[in-house]
Amino acid sequence: MVIGWGTGYDPLHVTPVFLRGLEDVSRLIWNPLCVQNLTGYLVKGALTPPLEEGKKIGICVRGCDSRSLVALIQEKLLSRESLHIFGIPCRGTLDVRRLMNESGLSQIRSVTIQGDHLVVQNDEEAHRFPLERFLARRCLRCRHPNPVIYDELVYQPITPRTAPEDAYRDVEAMEARSLQERHLFWSSELDRCIRCYACRNACPLCICQDRCIAETREPRWLTQRVNLPEKFLYHFIHALHLAGRCTECGECERVCPMEIPVTLIKEKLNQITRDLLHYEAGLDPEALPPLLTYNPNEAGI
Amino acid sequence: MRIGVFVCQCGTNIAGTVDTEAVARRAMEYADVVYATSYVYTCSEPGQQEIQRRIKEMNLQGVVVAACSPRMHEPTFRRAVERAGLNRYMFEMANIREHVSWISTDKEANTRKAMELVHMAVAKLRFNQPLFSSKVPINKRVLIIGAGVAGIQAALDCSDGGLDVVLVEKNPSIGGKMAQLDKTFPTIDCSSCILGPKMVDISQKENVTLHACSEVESVSGYVGNFKVQIRKKATYVNWNACTGCGECVRKCPSRKAPDPFNEHLATARAINIPFPQAIPKKAAINRDYCLHFTKGKCGVCKKICPVNAIDYDMQDELVSEEVGAIIVATGFDLFDHSVYGEYGGGRYPDVISGLQYERILSASGPFGGHIRRPSNGREPRDIVFIACVGSRDASVGRPYCSGVCCMYIAKQAILTRDHLPDSNCYVFYMDIRSPGKNYDEFVRRAQEEYGVQYIRGRVGKIYPRGDRMVVQGADTLLGIQVEVEADLVVLATGVEASAGAGELAEKLRISYDQYGFYMESHPKLRPVETNTAGVFLAGACQGPKDIPASVAQGSAAAAKVQALFARDAIETDPQVALVNERTCVGCLKCIMVCPFGAIQSKTLRDGSIKAEVLASVCQGCGLCNATCPPKAIQLQHATDNQILAELNILCA
Ligand SMILES: Cc1cc2nc3c(=O)[nH]c(=O)nc-3n(C[C@H](O)[C@H](O)[C@H](O)COP(=O)(O)OP(=O)(O)OC[C@H]3O[C@@H](n4cnc5c(N)ncnc54)[C@H](O)[C@@H]3O)c2cc1C
Ligand code: SF4
Ligand code: SF4
Ligand code: SF4
Ligand code: SF4
Repeated sequence: MVIGWGTGYDPLHVTPVFLRGLEDVSRLIWNPLCVQNLTGYLVKGALTPPLEEGKKIGICVRGCDSRSLVALIQEKLLSRESLHIFGIPCRGTLDVRRLMNESGLSQIRSVTIQGDHLVVQNDEEAHRFPLERFLARRCLRCRHPNPVIYDELVYQPITPRTAPEDAYRDVEAMEARSLQERHLFWSSELDRCIRCYACRNACPLCICQDRCIAETREPRWLTQRVNLPEKFLYHFIHALHLAGRCTECGECERVCPMEIPVTLIKEKLNQITRDLLHYEAGLDPEALPPLLTYNPNEAGI
Repeated sequence: MRIGVFVCQCGTNIAGTVDTEAVARRAMEYADVVYATSYVYTCSEPGQQEIQRRIKEMNLQGVVVAACSPRMHEPTFRRAVERAGLNRYMFEMANIREHVSWISTDKEANTRKAMELVHMAVAKLRFNQPLFSSKVPINKRVLIIGAGVAGIQAALDCSDGGLDVVLVEKNPSIGGKMAQLDKTFPTIDCSSCILGPKMVDISQKENVTLHACSEVESVSGYVGNFKVQIRKKATYVNWNACTGCGECVRKCPSRKAPDPFNEHLATARAINIPFPQAIPKKAAINRDYCLHFTKGKCGVCKKICPVNAIDYDMQDELVSEEVGAIIVATGFDLFDHSVYGEYGGGRYPDVISGLQYERILSASGPFGGHIRRPSNGREPRDIVFIACVGSRDASVGRPYCSGVCCMYIAKQAILTRDHLPDSNCYVFYMDIRSPGKNYDEFVRRAQEEYGVQYIRGRVGKIYPRGDRMVVQGADTLLGIQVEVEADLVVLATGVEASAGAGELAEKLRISYDQYGFYMESHPKLRPVETNTAGVFLAGACQGPKDIPASVAQGSAAAAKVQALFARDAIETDPQVALVNERTCVGCLKCIMVCPFGAIQSKTLRDGSIKAEVLASVCQGCGLCNATCPPKAIQLQHATDNQILAELNILCA
């Protein structure tokens, strides 16, 4: 089986496709609307049957997704041998929701990419948008557009748009605000959280699934009560479980129905991991995330 | 649950600054508390009986004692509740002395804090479960790593106690640093005369297996049941055949091999027996200098050996041993004195380390016991000793005192004056540290009877003038600069952790301090134990020590092993990690972080993977619990729910 992207319920919305035979290949597409990180299906998808001995599963990955694979391989949740990786250097994907909100489009007939523009045809007319204007936040700060592991590279590698030293500029901008402002910001953002757990479910590295302490309540870290402290606690737990592991694929933020910038919390932790432990997640399959090791001589602490 | 609370007055220790009556009254309001009282000395015999009486009378299912630090009396009270029929873990202690009454005099605030602490203990107790220890059989063999005087003493004591001993020494001979010494303070008896018989004993004990030229490769298992891999390094001489006759050594044409036993004051042959009293007295080839290995020709030793012991094809060999306890006695190494560039150690042949001087003094040393200058072989007249070279100096990362240098320079100065009555001996020192039995008297003898001149002050610089050395320093007592011309300068080189101490610690899963010395379990009360059950410490590997202290700790470690082995099985501590299989997702992150290798994975019948804790290996550190995302692995008696219950009270 090969997992990739295909057209969804309308041409603007891409959906994951699971190719089982040659006849399915025509369903496969690749364009800036292919927004999903598909690697989660490898570890938690009921959709992917257990592998037969010696068989491989194919998967299409962008730069960011490939880092998820590396992280999963590091943690032995996947074996490299069981994968056939189609790597796609990616110029950035769109924030479809923002596009919809800002353009007010509906009844979409077709979507084409023309150079660096997106052309959307609906019942009335064709609308042209510069791609750059609607790139997702994760893509605007992307340092690894080229897959870090693959068996086949589908296009030529491209130059990253963000220099490593600019990687955490969103975090830095947030930190430039006063403590009070930040408190207000996060209180109002997180207060909108409806604890649907979409962010957790979309995260390829959140592997507890229905054993997540947010739901088992065993031990009782969280309750069902709807209040801000509980929401904060949930997000802190999510972020801490990803500390030093999160590859910043941005799925958690993309899927949040309440449009809360939850990846930013993880970005802060990753910034600390980089500065303190000189580690960047999801790059080297041989390395171990620093919080998953016991090393009394840990440098940096 | 029916909970009883006992608030101790500790005479006036607690009651002086805490209203214990009020604390007890308030406790009656906490959930599940059915009885609360304040008592004058809860730990006393009547106090304990009171607890037991109330447990029976009031049908208590759990007890909280608010008193002193649990370090001392938690075991006391656990036994008390056990005598009354409760499980010992249905007990909690709130520390309202060290944490409250002793640190503040504000009675009102103290009382409030005591109430909160009691409330937290009650809240936790409501989540307590009876816990039971299990028994694992003990393999009554002991591994001793390092055969200096400490390891030798431990081995002999264990052997005398009837235990099988496996002794691993990385050098070709046992004996450690003491074998290199000439005479020993404070009695000036000959080092090899007192150590020699012990070394011979080792070779004659039937229940001691000695692996020399060997190192521990890996350690697995846990107290009572360790599995150890030992790497026996290739010596290229079959030691079963070698008689130690030394024919090969005499005939070997390669004479420029290093001689670590003589601290590089001499050279050795490529095939060598380190010293005449070596145990085992066997030859070994240094392949970096052997002409057979370097040039592919020679073979003299192979031709000459009367018992045909030479084996150029020998390979390292891995041996496995199973033991129930481990004593680490890997000793120390000397500070590298060349770090002090201004002293010129390592650059000027006549500026030497303390251990080099021991070799010069020794009758079996490079100069046959005659004091000579390494540069020209002449007898020195003026000899300067400099104390604290690599000790008590934070600027070289050695802020600690090496403990033995003040004493060994006094000894060396006395011996020098003995050998060369016409010589002048000077000692530059910071302070004199001689706090042992007969130690201060010994130093005084050096000063008063032997006329050794002690100059208090640091040496700034040593440089050559003609064929002599100029030692420039300060005399801080007289407040003047002094300059001494010397023929020989002996640096009292300090003691540091032995090379490779850190790696060995990782294998044994014991901790070490920032200088590499192994950490005892408690600096005062558990100086021989480590925090890893079944692993004990002896000698200078734990910190700088002289021979008497090293021997004492060797015996102490042996006694600890015997006490451990006096039982046939050990009870495990139930306060360990436990996996809830219903919530474990099998991610095995816990295995990655466990410092003690206490977790393994297992596959259930439905094919799902779960973590499993080896209760007897787990040390209860809690790292796994902190790491486990679904919190499926919980530390018994300190579960998340118990801690959350406490926090909820605190934050309410
Ligand atoms: C110059 C000098 C003079 C001294 N004079 C005196 C004196 O007069 N009187 C006195 O009381 N004390 C004296 N001391 C102190 C004395 O040397 C020590 O107290 C004593 O040697 C400590 O014994 P030990 O067995 O702990 O360590 P060591 O003697 O260092 O023995 C450790 C042994 O372990 C071995 N080993 C190390 N690592 C490993 C490993 N990984 N695997 C296997 N084996 C290993 C080493 O090869 C060595 O044989 C002197 C020290 C110095 C430096
Ligand atoms: S936490 Fe968010 S950004 Fe990080 S790996 Fe998971 S989904 Fe991606
Ligand atoms: S996806 Fe958004 S709303 Fe849902 S739990 Fe996550 S942050 Fe909250
Ligand atoms: S970390 Fe937790 S969930 Fe993962 S294997 Fe260990 S106990 Fe199970
Ligand atoms: S508490 Fe967990 S990490 Fe610590 S020793 Fe036990 S099993 Fe290992």
